Amino acid sequence: MRYVVGYSANARGHDAVNLAVSLARGRGAALDLMVAIPEVSPFSAAHAPKAGFETLLHEQARAWLDEALALVPADVPAEGHVRRGGSDAQTLMDACAEFQADMLIIGATSNGLFKRFTIGSVAGALLHAATVPVALAPHGYHRREALTRISCGLGTRPGADELLDYAVSMASNRDVPLRVVSLLTLDDGGSPDVAEAARSHAGNRVSAALPGGDAGVHVAAKADVVVAQGRSIEEAVDRLDWEDGEVLVIGSSRLARSRAIFLGSTANRILRALPVPMIVVPSDYELKHQTHSMSNETSGEAPS
Amino acid sequence: MTTEHATSAASQTDHKGISAKGLKAGTVGLIGAVVIGVSCIAPAYTLTAALGPTVSEVGVHLPAIFLVGFIPMLLVAFGYRELNNAMPDAGTSFTWASRAFGPWIGWMGGWGLIAATIIVLSNLAAVAVDFFYLMLAQLFSNPELGELSKNLPLNIATTLVFIALACWISYRGMETTKGVQYVLVAFQLLVLGWFAVAAFSHVANGSAFDATAISPDWFNPFAVDSFSSFAAGVSLSIFIYWGWDVTLTMNEETRNPEKTPGRAATVTVLVIVIIYMTVALSTLAFAGTGDTGLGAGNPDNQGSIFAVLAGPVMGPFAILMSLAILSSSAASLQSTFVSPARTLLSMGHYKALPAKFGRISPTYKSPSYATIAAAIAAAAFYVITRTTSENALWDTITALGMMICFYYGITALACVWFFRAQAFSGAHAFFFKFLAPLLGGVILLVMFFKTAYDSMDPAYGSGSSVAGVGLVFILGMGVILLGVVLMLVMAKLRPEFFKGQVLARGI
Repeated sequence: MRYVVGYSANARGHDAVNLAVSLARGRGAALDLMVAIPEVSPFSAAHAPKAGFETLLHEQARAWLDEALALVPADVPAEGHVRRGGSDAQTLMDACAEFQADMLIIGATSNGLFKRFTIGSVAGALLHAATVPVALAPHGYHRREALTRISCGLGTRPGADELLDYAVSMASNRDVPLRVVSLLTLDDGGSPDVAEAARSHAGNRVSAALPGGDAGVHVAAKADVVVAQGRSIEEAVDRLDWEDGEVLVIGSSRLARSRAIFLGSTANRILRALPVPMIVVPSDYELKHQTHSMSNETSGEAPS
Repeated sequence: MTTEHATSAASQTDHKGISAKGLKAGTVGLIGAVVIGVSCIAPAYTLTAALGPTVSEVGVHLPAIFLVGFIPMLLVAFGYRELNNAMPDAGTSFTWASRAFGPWIGWMGGWGLIAATIIVLSNLAAVAVDFFYLMLAQLFSNPELGELSKNLPLNIATTLVFIALACWISYRGMETTKGVQYVLVAFQLLVLGWFAVAAFSHVANGSAFDATAISPDWFNPFAVDSFSSFAAGVSLSIFIYWGWDVTLTMNEETRNPEKTPGRAATVTVLVIVIIYMTVALSTLAFAGTGDTGLGAGNPDNQGSIFAVLAGPVMGPFAILMSLAILSSSAASLQSTFVSPARTLLSMGHYKALPAKFGRISPTYKSPSYATIAAAIAAAAFYVITRTTSENALWDTITALGMMICFYYGITALACVWFFRAQAFSGAHAFFFKFLAPLLGGVILLVMFFKTAYDSMDPAYGSGSSVAGVGLVFILGMGVILLGVVLMLVMAKLRPEFFKGQVLARGI
């Protein structure tokens, strides 16, 4: 398994590397740290020399990568790459295709004043176009041990089953508990009945999604279903308890092109309140992965 | 670190591939290269800034000087191309002069380049501000809005905002795209053509301000009355071709590196000369060189000639001229920022400046400290000139011409000295590495010293002076002296570079 990490030589890049180490450790994945540098257009700068600047930029990028590789502990295999492209987001997506990466890991911007996550322009672009799951590290993320729990944000919309499959396989591959989370706001009706309905709906989904055999039993024993209610999505997220070593897996909006990410408005609001990393899964991603895993049992997060 | 963290073999190979040259090979055709060349010269901005000051020096011999001014530029550009092929480097003049003449002259060459680009930045911003207010006046048919640019505090404030904006865009690494560049260039050429046609038709209809018949004498450079005027005119016309050398240094990015750069340079210079000649001739024919009213010799008109002439010549369509100059100077302002920033970065990298100049923004991958330093310097230069000069635009352009002669002269001679061992190895090497740059460099340095000497006269340029010495001299020499002082300070702080331990001399 390979994870591509979008690295920049600042706090955001460090957050991304920490999360990548944490994700890799539970799965034995290898990391590809990427520094994306812009392509210099001959149509841009008037009297400016171009060739030499490219060399300096490239040297600097290699130096940054060496610093980044030094952050990765010895038990996680990692390589550094410099890639050039029209935009950072495009460069990272191209790298994912080149390395057949199973996940892309990036940091959120650090200048959000009150929010834990502020999406930068690069993350924004990736969260609306990437074709592999994108993991976003919150600002100041410094945990590097393996994950301790997977949460899956479950809606009632089409695509939820594929998402749940992804989360179940992720939990069973990493041998950690799964928690299925339904977030309700007052708009959904505040009565206990609604919550109960959501709980049983989620419970049914989980039972249906669990694979047969030992692995399924194993995960089922540890799967938990919770419903969080609040006046807003943000409040519902705040009311849940989050472990330090937890990540939240959520799906793409219905607006997403098939097999691509499109971060919906609910996901966006969850992101703003979330204290733990979030992994956004492209729509129909699991379908592609199931076929993939038939030929190669060890690859991907697909059920094994 | 353990062996697991070895950088992969694949990344080692792509490292080599990229560092050799960072541009996508073969994306620019002949037309694209010409567009790049014309946009670097920014003819609409250049003409409005340089036409007036040149007329004040050489009068009706403007066309002759515009033609003659191209010769040293061409000769120096040959040398520039040879150096660029041998040592492609972000420091250009700084690196080349250091390799040829050692650290001290190299440092001053780099300083001259930085100073010239900083001066042109402040002038670009000022011209953009003038035409910004002029356009508002034309848009709302309210001449009072145009007068706002003469309000000193407001003018300075607006100019600083323009500089800050351009700096921010450049820092963020945003680039003008190919499409925008094509449109800007086409629009500039179209509007300048329109201006020339409109001016000539006024002359034909007898409605010109001071209809003057074109005479062959205008093309005779030897008819210029003194060598002082000639030198001043040539150093100004170096400025009007500044940027043209870019077409010659394009190689890998062109579709046919053998032929495209040479053809593009030729076509660019033809386009530029034709447009300069038509506009120069039409301006002289329409307005004459008189020093009253709309005359091109009127000192009030010389800071920015089109601001005055576009209205009477083009009528209600004068707003197109404002738009053309505003867009071309704003685009140049942003792209020109890249040049001093990269040279400063390179000097920081080679330890000729404090290390922080070598910083690259981790987020935007652009020179961070150097870009901001360039913006602060341009802003400071503008504030100083604006508050001490009666005609800041005019004096900055004259000082700029001088500064370009200074660093181009050094660069050209660096080429001669660097390649001295190969100079007589063949006809090609003799002409391009020795004769052309030698002639060009000597001509430019002569122009530089002559202009510097003449500019001590308090009546020089716009006639501003400080303590009985011409302001242009103070500005030009002040900037060079400041460079010498900073160089000595740097030699104390970081002696490695000045001991020749960083950039070695010779081939």
